[in-house]
Amino acid sequence: MTISNKTKAFLGSSIVPLLLVIVWQYVASSGYVASFILPSPNQIIKTFVTNFVEKEYALHIAASLKRVLIGFLIGTVSGFSFGLLMGLSRTAEKIFGPFFNVIRQVPIIGFIPLIIMWFGVTELPRIIIITVAAFYPVTLNTFAGIRNVPKEYFELSSVYGYKGLKLIRRIVIPAALPSITTGITLALGMSWAMLMAAELFIQTYFGIGTRIQLGRDKFNMALVIVGIITVGALGFFMTTIVEQLAKALDRGKIIRKET
Amino acid sequence: MSVAKGTLEIRNLSKSYVVDNNPLQILKNINITFPAGAFVSILGSSGCGKTTLLRIMLGLETSYEGDALIDGEKIEGPGSNRGIVFQDHRLLPWLTVGENVAFGLDKLNRKTKKLLVDEHLKLVGLSGFEGAYPAQLSGGMAQRVAIARALANKPEILLLDEPLGALDALTRMYMQKELERLWEFEKITMIMVTHDVDEAIYLSDKIIIMSSRPGIINKIINIPSSRPRDRASSEFMQIKAEILNEFHLGSEYPFAYAI
Repeated sequence: MTISNKTKAFLGSSIVPLLLVIVWQYVASSGYVASFILPSPNQIIKTFVTNFVEKEYALHIAASLKRVLIGFLIGTVSGFSFGLLMGLSRTAEKIFGPFFNVIRQVPIIGFIPLIIMWFGVTELPRIIIITVAAFYPVTLNTFAGIRNVPKEYFELSSVYGYKGLKLIRRIVIPAALPSITTGITLALGMSWAMLMAAELFIQTYFGIGTRIQLGRDKFNMALVIVGIITVGALGFFMTTIVEQLAKALDRGKIIRKET
Repeated sequence: MSVAKGTLEIRNLSKSYVVDNNPLQILKNINITFPAGAFVSILGSSGCGKTTLLRIMLGLETSYEGDALIDGEKIEGPGSNRGIVFQDHRLLPWLTVGENVAFGLDKLNRKTKKLLVDEHLKLVGLSGFEGAYPAQLSGGMAQRVAIARALANKPEILLLDEPLGALDALTRMYMQKELERLWEFEKITMIMVTHDVDEAIYLSDKIIIMSSRPGIINKIINIPSSRPRDRASSEFMQIKAEILNEFHLGSEYPFAYAI
């Protein structure tokens, strides 16, 4: 019997989670640890089912998804524009570069008290946090991608009279695309990470982070773990979509050639 | 009476760069006429300024003393009357072979564009490859595409900057035959920079030998012999010996004389 490479990869990637569940089940049922501290996988599955049967859980997921998507999109678009500007113009880099490089050293969480003071406990500050989280990696990778466009391409372009917008659209952006898509994939991961911070630090009724908070307050670790798994699965799902999109955009297989 | 187009003249041309506040002379008092329809090679060791000379002819380098004229008119910048093939094929990896060949044909309508692309891919023996990406081609094939891209613009003069330098020895000899065939077919002026003596003798009507620091013309050798040339003929060997002597590489008893 032959096993396809895909099946092999799937089996290989399930070894670690499977072992984890086995050890976990063993420890939880051994009686050494109280069940409110470490609920057994069994309890998790039960909580999972009851949660997903409730309509409300879908609303929590929807609220979180909406936050991530809006923040991620605004952050990506503005990060791309800003990276493009700094990548194309040495003057822009001189003006904005140093300030950008200083401010991005501060973890976004450090700004949360300020953001709350300015915008209140509303949806806006949560989205701002996620936007900023997505903005940094897209800016940096767009900038680097543009600066690494081989000078030979520019020479070729001037021979054929490509300049201005045509040069940017037809040469600079396609050449920088692998780096830009890396930035966007990183941005998505950062968006999910900062979603949790945004929901935990800025109280809201709807959100997966809220559910995790609720689990903590009620000493219901099963609820916390269900929240974690939900975030992990959604994050993984969205990252896969973005990666597939990047692959589809990668004409001529530049990315795969490099790896 | 119509005058054959594609004559390039270099008159009293000198060029220097400033390095560490000291002027460094690259080219000194260069005078060459490239007759319309001729195949001329510029031969020299590295650092003799031959690439700078080619950049001047291409129009990428515009600050120098003296004149560079095409059909009597001063070269102001790159133009579609000159094509260029670089040592690296410089195809854009995100464009297909067909799109790469059409790179300089933006102003034409789709139908004319396709016609020109098909015509020139056929000319270089790559019909049916228009949908392939550069990463899927061998070095020799990629260089053929680069030649097709340069010829698709219908230039009067084709500049070749060590076009076969990156190919293996056998592919190289094969491509030399191909270049000769293309030159005879297109009937345009070809100017090739090379450091391969055999290649220069095989292809050229005229060889310009340059020496370094500063780049000056050492000698101009006319090769009247018929084509295709036999690399093993005594005439070929004699010319080779004459050229090698210019570089102080001649043997004391070149075998052409010893027979």
